Amino acid sequence: MTIEHTDVTPREIQWAEAMRAERRGDAAAYERLLKEVAIMLRRLIRARLAKFGLGVDETEDVVQEILIGLHGKRHTWDDTRPFMPWLFTITRYKFIDTARRLRRDAARQVDITMEEMAEIFAAPAEDPDRTMQDIDRHLADLPPSQRHVVRALGVDGATVRATAQQLHTSEGSVRVLYHRALRRLSAKARQDDTP
Amino acid sequence: MTTAARTNGLIGGLAAQAGRSRMARPRAFKVMLVIAALVSLGVSVALVLLWDGARPDFASAMHRAPFAYKVASMLALGLGGLVLASRAALPGSRRLTVLAFVPAVLILAFRAVTDRSGLSFLGNSDISVHECVLTILGVSLPPLVLLLGVMRMGAVTRPAVVGAIVGALSGALGATAYALACKNDAGVFVALWYPLAILVMAGLGATIGRRTLAW
Repeated sequence: MTIEHTDVTPREIQWAEAMRAERRGDAAAYERLLKEVAIMLRRLIRARLAKFGLGVDETEDVVQEILIGLHGKRHTWDDTRPFMPWLFTITRYKFIDTARRLRRDAARQVDITMEEMAEIFAAPAEDPDRTMQDIDRHLADLPPSQRHVVRALGVDGATVRATAQQLHTSEGSVRVLYHRALRRLSAKARQDDTP
Repeated sequence: MTTAARTNGLIGGLAAQAGRSRMARPRAFKVMLVIAALVSLGVSVALVLLWDGARPDFASAMHRAPFAYKVASMLALGLGGLVLASRAALPGSRRLTVLAFVPAVLILAFRAVTDRSGLSFLGNSDISVHECVLTILGVSLPPLVLLLGVMRMGAVTRPAVVGAIVGALSGALGATAYALACKNDAGVFVALWYPLAILVMAGLGATIGRRTLAW
């Protein structure tokens, strides 16, 4: 996230003015500003999160965290100085903070889910046919693309790259699909546990 | 309900609070920080006087070079720390730079090199070094707590680094106060042991700041 401190873009002028309006209690101007900032943040963040295999839901989580952070610290902007550098400093800090937490959560979730998957798929080893049936029954609730990815990665042991090529999509989105599918399966496993 | 709709709901809630922030804006924050530093110095001076009392020859010593150098170098360090702390708490300010500490280092070095008194760098007694370092650490703790509290009202984006800066600032204030009681006038003593105590405070500040300055 590099920015030029010197150039005064129309956006700089508009957003700085909206920040001043917020201080005068102008809720409408402030709401417009936050919506515009949210749009910019989505664009900035989506691509960065895709690298970690995180998708739209997580992007929105990070956007919200940053908005809450900038709202809570809005008094620290000096209205005699440019607004964009302030915004990017806050954004970078909150992005790193939240992305780190999301990645930790994702890792933990996948770990838990792996155990649960093992339980879901636990079946007598001497009866491979039944195991496959069980797996199919569990996977049947997933959307087709997620089902394909789980079967390729989780059951057949294919690589992410091969699966991506098969589906004509990027490795990032394969990871996202897999992550979502696991989340769904683990939620379902929890439901099945509670009679 | 789509995710963007959720965010728009949040934005509506935030926008309703427009103009209701009661937190100090940059100018008021800087004033608050300076006041906190002065109060801290007052607390440190009070602690030094209660703990050690002023040096016995204070009336005459305060007009001589050794005392002036101690106070000048530590105040210069404090000022540098104060400038950096105020920048660090207000995003979009000018950069943090070690240049802020150069004046203090120059004063310490100049005094150490030009000191012809022949006094030992270990001080006047066996316990000088311990006493000096431990007293500075002790009287710097209240400033550290107070200043970290004020810094939390800003928006620090490098908690550990800024914690170290606030620690060094607290150490400088503590050392300024300790100069009232310190009987060790060798330039090298001051250039060696005062900064050591301040570095320990910086480390402590970094450790505490990493958690308390994060938001």
